[in-house]
Amino acid sequence: MPVIEVEGLQKLYGDFPAVQGLSFQVGPGEVLGLVGPNGAGKTTTIRSIAGIIIPSAGTIRIAGHDLARDPVRAKAALAFIPDEPHLFEYLTVEEHLRFVGRLYGVADVRQRIPGLLEELDLTEKRASLPGELSRGMKQKLAIACGLLHEPQALLLDEPLTGLDPVGIRRMKATIMRRAAAGAAVMLSSHLLHLVEEICTRLLVLQRGRVVAFGTTAEIIARRPDLGSRSLEDVFLDLIGQDEGAEL
Amino acid sequence: MIRMFGYLAWRSAYNRTARQARHLRSPRYVAALLLGLAYLWFVVLAQRPAPAADLADPRWLELVGALALLGAVAWGWIFGVERRVLAFSPAEVTFLFSGPVSRRGLIQFKLLRTQLLILFNALLWTLILSRERFGVSPWLRVISIWMLLTTLSFHRLGASFVRTSLAEHGRLGVRHRVVSLVVLGVVLVALTWSIGEALPRFAGADARTPIGFLSALGEAAAQPLPTALTYPFRVMIRPLTAHSVSDWLQALWPALILLVLHYIWVVRSDTAFEEAAAALSLQRAQALSERPAGRQVRWAGRRVSAPLIRLAPEGWPAGAILWKNLVAVTRTQRLRNVGLALAVGGVVVTALSFEPEGTLAEIAGWFAVTWAGAMTVIGPQWVRNDLRGDLLKLDMLRSYPLRGGSVVIAEVGASALVLTAIQLSLLVIGYLAFLGNQSMEPSLQDRTLLLVAAFAFLPGINLLGMIIQNGAALLYPAWVRLGSGRPAGVEALGQNMLMMLVFVALLGVTLLPPVAIGGGVFLLLHGIVSRWAAIPATTLVLGIMAFEAALLVNWLGGVFERTDPAAAGIG
Repeated sequence: MPVIEVEGLQKLYGDFPAVQGLSFQVGPGEVLGLVGPNGAGKTTTIRSIAGIIIPSAGTIRIAGHDLARDPVRAKAALAFIPDEPHLFEYLTVEEHLRFVGRLYGVADVRQRIPGLLEELDLTEKRASLPGELSRGMKQKLAIACGLLHEPQALLLDEPLTGLDPVGIRRMKATIMRRAAAGAAVMLSSHLLHLVEEICTRLLVLQRGRVVAFGTTAEIIARRPDLGSRSLEDVFLDLIGQDEGAEL
Repeated sequence: MIRMFGYLAWRSAYNRTARQARHLRSPRYVAALLLGLAYLWFVVLAQRPAPAADLADPRWLELVGALALLGAVAWGWIFGVERRVLAFSPAEVTFLFSGPVSRRGLIQFKLLRTQLLILFNALLWTLILSRERFGVSPWLRVISIWMLLTTLSFHRLGASFVRTSLAEHGRLGVRHRVVSLVVLGVVLVALTWSIGEALPRFAGADARTPIGFLSALGEAAAQPLPTALTYPFRVMIRPLTAHSVSDWLQALWPALILLVLHYIWVVRSDTAFEEAAAALSLQRAQALSERPAGRQVRWAGRRVSAPLIRLAPEGWPAGAILWKNLVAVTRTQRLRNVGLALAVGGVVVTALSFEPEGTLAEIAGWFAVTWAGAMTVIGPQWVRNDLRGDLLKLDMLRSYPLRGGSVVIAEVGASALVLTAIQLSLLVIGYLAFLGNQSMEPSLQDRTLLLVAAFAFLPGINLLGMIIQNGAALLYPAWVRLGSGRPAGVEALGQNMLMMLVFVALLGVTLLPPVAIGGGVFLLLHGIVSRWAAIPATTLVLGIMAFEAALLVNWLGGVFERTDPAAAGIG
């Protein structure tokens, strides 16, 4: 049974369609990569699925719960990690996790915190306020908050922003570990090598519409004219920027 | 350089206003604008000017105004001028600090940018005071108010430089601030001496009536030392109270000189501040180079206090938001200072109230009670640990598995609790200050009943007040200042005053049904069960307030769930 189900998603800002006619599903253990140029509708899509933006049309179901009809249960099953970490100025690292634990009703929050801090290399910073953390550490804390309640659906918007090479490697391992544990992961990124490396399927968006959907091999196979060229070439071709890429 | 600063300040203000005006496409914003204009018309413009017989004596205006300014300035020096007066936006830091701009240039930009806010508020004040028949003409009044606000704004900036310099550079800061500190010391000693000398004048029975109090105040202020102390503040007020153009011109020059002196002080202070900072950096570098090899550098870290309340992992989920907001309050230095001052004040006034000559305790008591009452109106603008602070994180709030109503009640509950705690502490101080006074009316028994009534009603009143404030932020996020800060200082006094008047009107409307129905029931039953009628009346008042709060929270919860962060301009 799919964890994330999106059907006919549309979001209009006035007359401008940010996303239109989007339908897809993400099952347990899958990692779906959302790619597209700036303004393609990636963030709008992820934020709609996270329940932040109200879609103009379409239905979204998380772990079987309709997001519009039963938002509390649907949101309890997901975690959203934005590209810019929004943290509370006066809560320490550990208090952020306790705060999130109460929000999601995590009874064994005390037992979970040490492991999570260790996994994200934050143990030494457990008593620090966000103002004392670097950009990368803030991002790690936001990720730790998202992972605390072991969500069935994990939504990440540009998850590697601000992380150093070690952090990137750890982050990739964390995402893959969660997927292996049965979570449905959906992430948006401009980093095609990351997407190619960890995503099981890709959804390529252009001006709010799907221009390609499937595994990397399937997408490349649909364009035999591009021969054995890289995902980057295929991506640029799909979004109509291939000439620029030749320059 | 000035042209570049002017361009930046002007275009930023223009684009910001244009962006806010674009929200007028929404009927909700149009309705707010029309209601605001109608309110302004009713409150200010449609009122007839005060009759000539009611004209206030300019001498009294000058004295009361000067004392108010002296109090505000002394408060800033003693309790701290907010550091954000020095703040630059991240974009300004990126472009200006790394660009070929001198530190003096930066401070001039800061002053220039504040001017737009001051001009706007000068116009607002002129509008608010338009029915008062003092002063020469509206145009000259705008200039007078602009000069007053600019001088005070410069003073606030200069004071913040001195305090920052002392806080960050210690003894080195004292050396660079010796002139400012000597002047400040002399003023504080003179002020304390003057207050001590004036106290006996207020002890007499005559001073307990408003006219008697003003008369005692006038006599005290006419002494040589208070006259010298209040002189600069009288100079600032005088152009406002002038009755002819020649009087105005005569009063203008000293005020203008004071303004220029402040400008020089601020600009020179900034240079001294930078020099102090540079010297300190040099000292640090030397200390590091002299440190034995291999020894770790230890920087003083900020110690985080443990939260006063423990958060259980299970329970009402929105309780996490309530807890978070209360933790934030206990970690805010300013509010911790207020708490400490209230605790110490309580002990001191209790001791003083049993002294045979308990005047000091009585003055403190009246001060505390007056402040507690005033906090009902101004408190909701000060205490902002609620949605007004958190709406900038609307993305995160919306992704939590919570109903909109739960988020709203948890957010407003936190700030209502804090405000109520401050007010009740002040009232308890007031109660304790009169504890030893056996002859006072109302009697001790009645005062105790009034205190109990405050404990019963204030939480509900504050909850409704906070719902109104948060409702405004939720309904009009593009027009309400979000984040922990708010427009503060004399520059923004006009707009804060206007907002407060609107708030008072809305709170009055909200409290009308419970007060009318509860009051009616009390009057109806009083003839039958005497004082006991207060019990059903109180229950009814609290019940209606709770019902109103529930209705409003439910409605605002729906608004919260429907608010699109991007469309609202906060995503």
